[in-house]
Amino acid sequence: MTVREIVKRFTFIEIFQGMALTLKRMFSHAVTIQYPKERRHIAPGFRGQHALAKNQAGQAKCVGCGLCATICPSQCIHIARAKGQVDKYEIDILRCIYCGFCVEACPYGAIVLTENYEYSDYKKENIYMKKDKLLSNWDKYMPGKKGEEYFKKFWRPMSDDFGTPPIQAVWRGKKQ
Amino acid sequence: MLKVEKTFETRELNVNMGPQHPATHGVLRLVLDIDGETIVKVTPYVGYLHRGIEKLGESLSYFQALPLTDRMDYVSAMSNNIGYCVAVEKLFGIEAPERAKFIRTIVGEMSRIANHLLWLATHALDIGAMTVFLYCFREREWILDLYEMICGARLTVTYPRIGGVRNDVPQEFLESLWKFTDEFPSRILEYETLIDQNRIWLKRTVGIGVISAEEAVNWGMTGPTLRGSGIPYDIRKHAPYDAYDKVDFDVPIGTEGDTYDRYRCRMLELRQSNRIIRQCIEKLPKGPIMADAPKFTLQPKDAMFPVTHPTKQHAYYIEEKVCKGCGMCLRACPAKAITGEKKKPHKIDQAICLQCANCLAVCKFKGLKIVPGGKGLSEDKLKELAAAPLPEEITKATEHLVEHFTFVKRGPRAPEGELYVATEVPKGELGFYFVSDGSGKPYRMRVRAPSFIHAGCLPRLCVGHLVADVIAAIGTIDIVLGECDR
Ligand code: SF4
Ligand code: SF4
Ligand code: SF4
Ligand code: SF4
Repeated sequence: MTVREIVKRFTFIEIFQGMALTLKRMFSHAVTIQYPKERRHIAPGFRGQHALAKNQAGQAKCVGCGLCATICPSQCIHIARAKGQVDKYEIDILRCIYCGFCVEACPYGAIVLTENYEYSDYKKENIYMKKDKLLSNWDKYMPGKKGEEYFKKFWRPMSDDFGTPPIQAVWRGKKQ
Repeated sequence: MLKVEKTFETRELNVNMGPQHPATHGVLRLVLDIDGETIVKVTPYVGYLHRGIEKLGESLSYFQALPLTDRMDYVSAMSNNIGYCVAVEKLFGIEAPERAKFIRTIVGEMSRIANHLLWLATHALDIGAMTVFLYCFREREWILDLYEMICGARLTVTYPRIGGVRNDVPQEFLESLWKFTDEFPSRILEYETLIDQNRIWLKRTVGIGVISAEEAVNWGMTGPTLRGSGIPYDIRKHAPYDAYDKVDFDVPIGTEGDTYDRYRCRMLELRQSNRIIRQCIEKLPKGPIMADAPKFTLQPKDAMFPVTHPTKQHAYYIEEKVCKGCGMCLRACPAKAITGEKKKPHKIDQAICLQCANCLAVCKFKGLKIVPGGKGLSEDKLKELAAAPLPEEITKATEHLVEHFTFVKRGPRAPEGELYVATEVPKGELGFYFVSDGSGKPYRMRVRAPSFIHAGCLPRLCVGHLVADVIAAIGTIDIVLGECDR
């Protein structure tokens, strides 16, 4: 055993180093947030509860083609049609895995995922999303330009993805 | 005098550890035969988290099965996604464009960092170092936030796609990630200050679960678990996929093959991952992010706009003269708006029709016509309009639409054959084996999960050690039961 090791062994130097670090960190900012009071910032395009998009006239864009129901890996979208209309559009939210494939598959841009992740409830019926609830979600979470922005960014692929768009994120070098 | 026939003897004790033991990293059950405090035999029981992912994969199309891979190793979902996409791309014979490859390498290495951080956190926590746990989660959260920035999800990301990635990365993401890589090395030093030389940590890890290089290979170990024993086997180096052949990195190896060496390996890997990410950011080229392979990817949405845009009010009409009465459209129509007998011209009831284009996508005889702006017109008027030639943009959009509907309903068709493709996920070698019968779904999908094989090595690592060391052994092989049981 070298002298160095003996010194190390009897001075508990590594333990004190570790404790000094913890002590130092005690005076830095807290990294946790106090959840119900504080909320974390939600990035645009968050994959939360669904909403059915409305067009300019305020009607549902969905035509009921059923592609979303076909591609859904957990088979949780149920659609029924009657008299040239979508009669029933229901999403079994508890089975949804939030993959976002329904958004990508829909050719009509009729469904989006909103940033709502707080929808727990005491009753199952309240979580089972019916058409009117999905439509009201659109007004609630995608007001104004927000819906448009969502489609621009997350309703993919667009032709741009198969080519080189004029503006693309690249490394611009370190900021001086 | 009383004669003792049988001397007093102790029996080996049979103890169940798990499936709900807090330190088993999931629902792993170990049956331990112990002699006092010493382990005599270990029998791992797995399968508590079995969800039949391989079987499920066979009932979903190649495109749909992607989210399943998120749920195997949920700690590093991104790497699993990439592994699946790389394998399926090989099967299809397509290649992702350069930019997508770089993005995938970036997010893959981020996932390696996130995985190793969680591993370090829980491993240290199991052994008794609580503070490291909190510090690791601080950085892991940062990575998850970055994930959220690019794809809207933190854990089950489903971000890579067959033939590329879901969407392009924003500029802020690159800036933020660069900041992370700037700061991360100092954070690694923090963890090391806490445990690297700590005498308790050394006592609990040095010389525990030693496995020699030869044995480690024979037991089928891969990843850092193998490299701790001194074998520099890394698929990123040996069979590079994505952009790994364009970046410069080292493969850290250990010498002793004990728990401490495996820990050192992973700590060095954190630094290497950081290095890879920085190089990728600097080299990130401009270009497409999806492969130009129309049969294997979703169609561009804007190419379908002339038909699908909400302002367009088209009608669908069957031309009597052209319709062969094959009945395809009748079966495809979700609204049951089409009537007709076999071999006779079919008819669409315009009052019921939803204008959804399902019928258009299946008609092979061009009997179905789209009538631009024809919604609500009378039958005669439609007939008149349907005879007129279509504008070019509508014809083009229809082609895309047909491809899109076919893709969604049938899935991308793979050529017949079988193949095995392995990728290096944080835990080891993740392999996908496909047998394809030429349909849109795999005939057989098999996953070679590193966690499963490593769980099998537990008896070898534990025997002869103390009960407390079982915890260290479970930690050191870095298993996630979601992947192990699939
Ligand atoms: S997000 Fe995925 S699982 Fe949920 S409804 Fe859409 S396709 Fe189905
Ligand atoms: S894919 Fe879009 S238009 Fe078709 S049923 Fe689903 S939400 Fe409606
Ligand atoms: S457009 Fe849709 S609803 Fe109308 S006939 Fe075709 S498949 Fe049926
Ligand atoms: S699919 Fe085309 S050819 Fe066949 S019945 Fe329908 S319109 Fe006629």
